[in-house]
Amino acid sequence: MSLIEIEDLTFCYASQPNEPALRNLSCSIEQGSFVGITGLAEAGKSSFCRLIAGYIPHFFHGEFSGRVSVAGTDTRETTIGELAGRVGFVFENPFDQLTGASLTVLEEAAFALENMGLAREEIRQRAEKSLSQVGMEDLTDRHPQQLSGGQSQRLALASVLAVQPEVFILDEPTSQLDPLGVEEVFDVISDMHRRGYTVTVVSQDLDHLAVHADRLIIIDKGEIGWDGEPREILLDAAEARHPVLIPDVLEISRNLRAARRIPSNSPVPLTVEQAAKELSSMDTPGSAAQTIAAGKTSRHLSGSKLESNKELVFEDVHYDYPTGVSAIRGVSLSLDEGCICIVGQNGAGKTTFAKHLNGLLRPTRGRVLVRGKDTREYRVAELAREVGLAFQNPDDQLFRSTVEEEVRFGPDNMGAGTEEAKRLVASAMDLMGLDAVREKKPHDLGVSERKRVATASVIAMNTPVVVLDEPTGGQDAEGIDLLGHLVDHLVQQGKLVIVVTHDVKFAARHADRVIALHQGRVLLDDGPRKVFGQEEALARTHVEPPAATQLGKLLGLDETLRTPEELLAVLAPE
Amino acid sequence: MFEYRPGDSPVHLLNPVTKLAVAVGLTVVVFLLPNPWGPALIAVALLGVAAVARFPGRVAKLAAVITVPFLVSVVIVQGLFYTSNETPFIEMGPVTFWEEGLAYGLLIFFRVLVVVCAVLILVFSTYPKTMMVAFIDKGLSPKLAYVFLASLQFIPEMQRRAQAIIEAQQARGLDLKANLWRRFQALLAMMIPLLTGALISVETRSLALEARGFSRGGLRNHLIEVPDTTTDRVIRWSMAAIVVLVALWRIVL
Repeated sequence: MSLIEIEDLTFCYASQPNEPALRNLSCSIEQGSFVGITGLAEAGKSSFCRLIAGYIPHFFHGEFSGRVSVAGTDTRETTIGELAGRVGFVFENPFDQLTGASLTVLEEAAFALENMGLAREEIRQRAEKSLSQVGMEDLTDRHPQQLSGGQSQRLALASVLAVQPEVFILDEPTSQLDPLGVEEVFDVISDMHRRGYTVTVVSQDLDHLAVHADRLIIIDKGEIGWDGEPREILLDAAEARHPVLIPDVLEISRNLRAARRIPSNSPVPLTVEQAAKELSSMDTPGSAAQTIAAGKTSRHLSGSKLESNKELVFEDVHYDYPTGVSAIRGVSLSLDEGCICIVGQNGAGKTTFAKHLNGLLRPTRGRVLVRGKDTREYRVAELAREVGLAFQNPDDQLFRSTVEEEVRFGPDNMGAGTEEAKRLVASAMDLMGLDAVREKKPHDLGVSERKRVATASVIAMNTPVVVLDEPTGGQDAEGIDLLGHLVDHLVQQGKLVIVVTHDVKFAARHADRVIALHQGRVLLDDGPRKVFGQEEALARTHVEPPAATQLGKLLGLDETLRTPEELLAVLAPE
Repeated sequence: MFEYRPGDSPVHLLNPVTKLAVAVGLTVVVFLLPNPWGPALIAVALLGVAAVARFPGRVAKLAAVITVPFLVSVVIVQGLFYTSNETPFIEMGPVTFWEEGLAYGLLIFFRVLVVVCAVLILVFSTYPKTMMVAFIDKGLSPKLAYVFLASLQFIPEMQRRAQAIIEAQQARGLDLKANLWRRFQALLAMMIPLLTGALISVETRSLALEARGFSRGGLRNHLIEVPDTTTDRVIRWSMAAIVVLVALWRIVL
C-alpha cells in the first residue's frame, strides 16, 4: 500500500459551499518519492496539501466526501497534532510559521521537541541536527527576526524536520524569496529527498521543480489534470495549451522537435547545460544578428512620444537608513521612457531606490526630481499624482469591501470625477483580468488575484509614471501574461514604466532598458541585450541571464538573445 | 532599550522567580517605611546590585530618565501643598516651601525609584525565555508564557507592518494631511489591512503551533534549564522574613 492514499475525494470549503475546491480526486503517493505539484492559481493545490496534513477537515471545515489515509490511518479519525508526527508542513510565508516567541534560532528549532517532553540533551541534539541538515549550524544563536527570507524558510523547515516526520509538504515555499533564497531552499529539499523523506512541493517555479521532482502533478480546477514524469507531463500540457510556466529550455527543445530539427526520441532537457549539449550536435545555426535585425520583437521607442522629457532624475543620490546602513551610495541617472527594469540581489538597494521615485524616502544626500519637482519639497500624496507605485504585498493595502471599490481607491484619492473614475477603473480591471470578480471581497480572492487588485488600483490613478515592485512574484502563467500585456500597453500609451524584479525572463521580454544595482550603486545600465550579455558582471549581484540568453552564448551566437522565440528563429528559421 | 543584557554575574544566575520575589518584597517594604532614609538606602543598595551585574550605568541612566521629571513635580507639589505642612523650609516672596512636604515628596520619589531600579535589574539580568521557563516550572500555564514571549516580538512586528501599510497607501495617493473626513478615511485605510493581516497571520500561526504539538497535553521539557538553588531559596525566605518584620514593626509602632 502507498504511504498516502486519496480516494475519490470531493471537498467544498464552508465559506464557498457550491464551488468544490477538489472534485473526485484520487491519488496515491509512494514512500520516498518527490512529487511536484503545480497548476493555475486557485486550482486546488493548497487544498491538496491541507488534505494530506489533516488541516482539511480538522481546521478548514466544509463538505467532505471520500477518504484520505496516511500510513494506513484515516485522517478523519486522528488529529492535526497526531498527524504532525508523520506529516510536516511548511507554509508559503516563513514569518507566519515561526512561533514568534523564540529569541534564538536554536530555540525555534527546539519548540516542538519541548512540547513533546523529550529529555533536555535529546532536545538539544535533535534541534542542532535538524539545523545542520538545512545548513544553519553556524546561526544557532541568531535572533529569528534577523534572518534573510531564505534563512527563515530554512529555519521553518528545520523546525518541522526536528519532529522527524516521514512526509514533507511544502506549499509554495519559495514564492516570497529572491533567487538566492530559492536555490537555498530547493537544495535543502532535494537533499531531504535523497535522505529518504517523502517530499511534496507545490510551486509555480517549474525551472526548479521539474528538475528535482521525480513526479509532477498538474492540478486543474480541483482535479488532477496531468500526472507523471515531469518532462512528459510538461510536454503534454504544452501540447494541450494548458497555461503552465514551462521552463524555457523545454519549450525551445519542444519546438525544435516539432520542426524536426532534433530527433524526437532523445531525452528532453530541463537545464541549460542539458539543452546546450543537445543543441551543440545541431548543424551550424543562422545568424543571431540578422534574425534580430529582421525581428518584430523590439519596440521602437524614439519618436513614439512628442517630446522626450526627463521624467525622473537622480542627482548623486545617497541614502542612509537611520540605523546607519547605506542603501544607496551615489546614483545619478535619468529615467525617461519605455519600460525600465531594475534587477539585482536582495539588499542591492532596489526597494530603497523604488521608494525614492515617489518621495516615500528622501535622499540623505543629492536630490531626486520627479517631473521637475524636487521630492524633498512635496508630500507623497502630491507626488502620487505623477508616480503610482504598486507594492508587492497586497495585504498591506486592500481594505475596501469589493474589488471595484478597491480599484477606485486610487482615482478617488486623485480626486477624479465620477465618470472619469468609472472609466479608469473599468480599464484597469480589464487590463488586470478582474472583470469576473468585480463584486467580490478582495480578501476572498487568492493571493495572486489580490496582488492584481492592488496593481489595478495603482494603474487606475492614470499617472504618467508607474512603478511596479516585484509584480510577477507568486503569479501563475496567466497572471504573468496579463502583467506583460499591461506593461506593453502602458508603454504604448506613452507612460514611463519602472519594474523592480527578480524575474529575468520578464525583464528580458519587456524591458527597453535594464538597470542592475549592486551594493547601492549602478552596476550596469543599458538595453536588455547589452546587460544580459554581461554574465560575469551580473553574477556579482546574483542575477542569472535568462535561459535563452545563456543558451545563445553557449552556442557561440554572434549576438545576445533575449527570448526563446528569438533563439528558435535562429535555430529553426521558417 | 529595555532588553536583556547578557552576562554571567551572580545576579544573572539567580532564578528569575527569586529576582521577582525580591522586587515585589522591596516594593512592599518601601511602601511600609515612613521616611525617605530607608527607601534612599535601598535605592543605593540596588545600584550596588546593578554594579555586581555590570550594568550600573544603564540602570542609573534609565532610572534617572524615568524618575527625575517625577521627582521635580512631586517635590514641588508636596513642598507647596502637603496638608501637614507646618515648618517653613525656604520662603521666596509670597511662596513658602515646607519641610514636611519636602520630606514626603522625597519619600514618594525614593519609593518609586526603588521599584523602577528593581524592575530594571530584573529585566536587564533575565533572559525572557528563562523567566518564562522558571514560571512554567512554578506552575504558570505554557500558553500564558507563550503569549507573553510572543507579545515581545508582536509589537515591533506590528510597527513594521503599520509602516509598510502607510507607505503602500500613500503610494496609492492617500493624503495624510487633509481635512477631517479624509483623515478618518485614512485611518480606515490603515487599520483594516493591519487587523486583517494580523488575523491571517494568527490563523496561520495557530495551525503551525498546533502542528508542532503546542496544544498537546502531558509532560513538557525545556531546552534551557533554570536551576533553583539553595541560595535562591535562602534569598526568597529572607525577603519574606524582612517583609514580615517591617510590617510588624510598623503595626506595633
